[in-house]
Amino acid sequence: MTPPGPKSISQVALMDAVSGAGVPAEFWQPITDKNLADWEAHWRPAIQEQLVLLSDAGVERHLWPQSREWNWRKKHNALGSSLSNESAAVMAAGVTQGMMIVDLDFRARIEEQARQHMVYIDFLEVAPWNRRTLTGGAPRYVGIGTLMIGKAIQRSLELGFKGRIGLHSLPQSNDYYANQCGMRDLGSDANYNKLRYFEMTPDMAERFLMRGERSGR
Amino acid sequence: MADRITPEWCLAMAHLEIGHEVGAGLTAIDPVPDEDTEGSDESRLALGRFVSLARRGRGMSIDTLAELTEVDVGELLSIERDAHHLPDTRTLYQLAQIFGVSQHKLMGLSGLTRPKDLKYVDEAIRYAALSESVARLTKEEQAALDGLIAVLSERKGK
Repeated sequence: MTPPGPKSISQVALMDAVSGAGVPAEFWQPITDKNLADWEAHWRPAIQEQLVLLSDAGVERHLWPQSREWNWRKKHNALGSSLSNESAAVMAAGVTQGMMIVDLDFRARIEEQARQHMVYIDFLEVAPWNRRTLTGGAPRYVGIGTLMIGKAIQRSLELGFKGRIGLHSLPQSNDYYANQCGMRDLGSDANYNKLRYFEMTPDMAERFLMRGERSGR
Repeated sequence: MADRITPEWCLAMAHLEIGHEVGAGLTAIDPVPDEDTEGSDESRLALGRFVSLARRGRGMSIDTLAELTEVDVGELLSIERDAHHLPDTRTLYQLAQIFGVSQHKLMGLSGLTRPKDLKYVDEAIRYAALSESVARLTKEEQAALDGLIAVLSERKGK
């Protein structure tokens, strides 16, 4: 059963994509009824609206958002009761801006850290209005995915996994993980719909965290 | 343990996400194209040559095209000059819009999708082979560009 409220809330921030101004936000753990209700009431209609625009513009289906058929309520119901899974959401302006589910029972693949514990990001998605679109739509807030990656590293550190994280990237995000996050690309994974698998070592994680700490001073 | 993901950290790092999409997790829908095996260097060369010819045919610099398509100059340069470069799907969509050709066929040439009809790929490679990269389009290059546009437009074949 989904808890009515978050067990923990920490203060974070997003950037307004137009003005560049900071926007106060909260990181909720775990995903709550409110987050799932937002997904149903706000995310799904916005995704449908985008799909209509894409269809009308003649955009091929394989260019449509890969996560368009994700059902967060089903995901949460399936994974929420598992002891090895944790979930989180980003809240700003009273609405859910992003959600994530992680798996704590996953082993690393990079040779130098093979079979060591890590935090694996099962699912990560930002709200549809925070994504750029093929039809020219501009995001409202940026920084949601980045802060969720940061939080996954933080959780890995807390659990003694030294910052090791891994994930299977959606195709449109490959360059973000490789070039912006500095994660190691281990290539296409035949067992995961041929999605590319990315992993971060403790050194990479520390560099990632330090970047924000140095420039945030 | 202190939480290192502070509001200041978030704002300092948010810029990483500008122009990018962030998502992870197993897709439950259409299989993802196999980026490793599809698309030959020849067909990507044809794609690069088409972009170069179409751009120059309109008297555009790389910078101008980058501005119009909202695509990085580096990405456009890689498409024009590097047969190993796998273009971004959004870039191909923008190029198809600007040049008035089929995004589906540009995707096929790039290797992001597996073309069912290989005829247009072969034809595009043939037309691309007829052209040479020089500062201004020669009559032959213009003819090659016309041929590429005909082959890559929606009207002709699928």
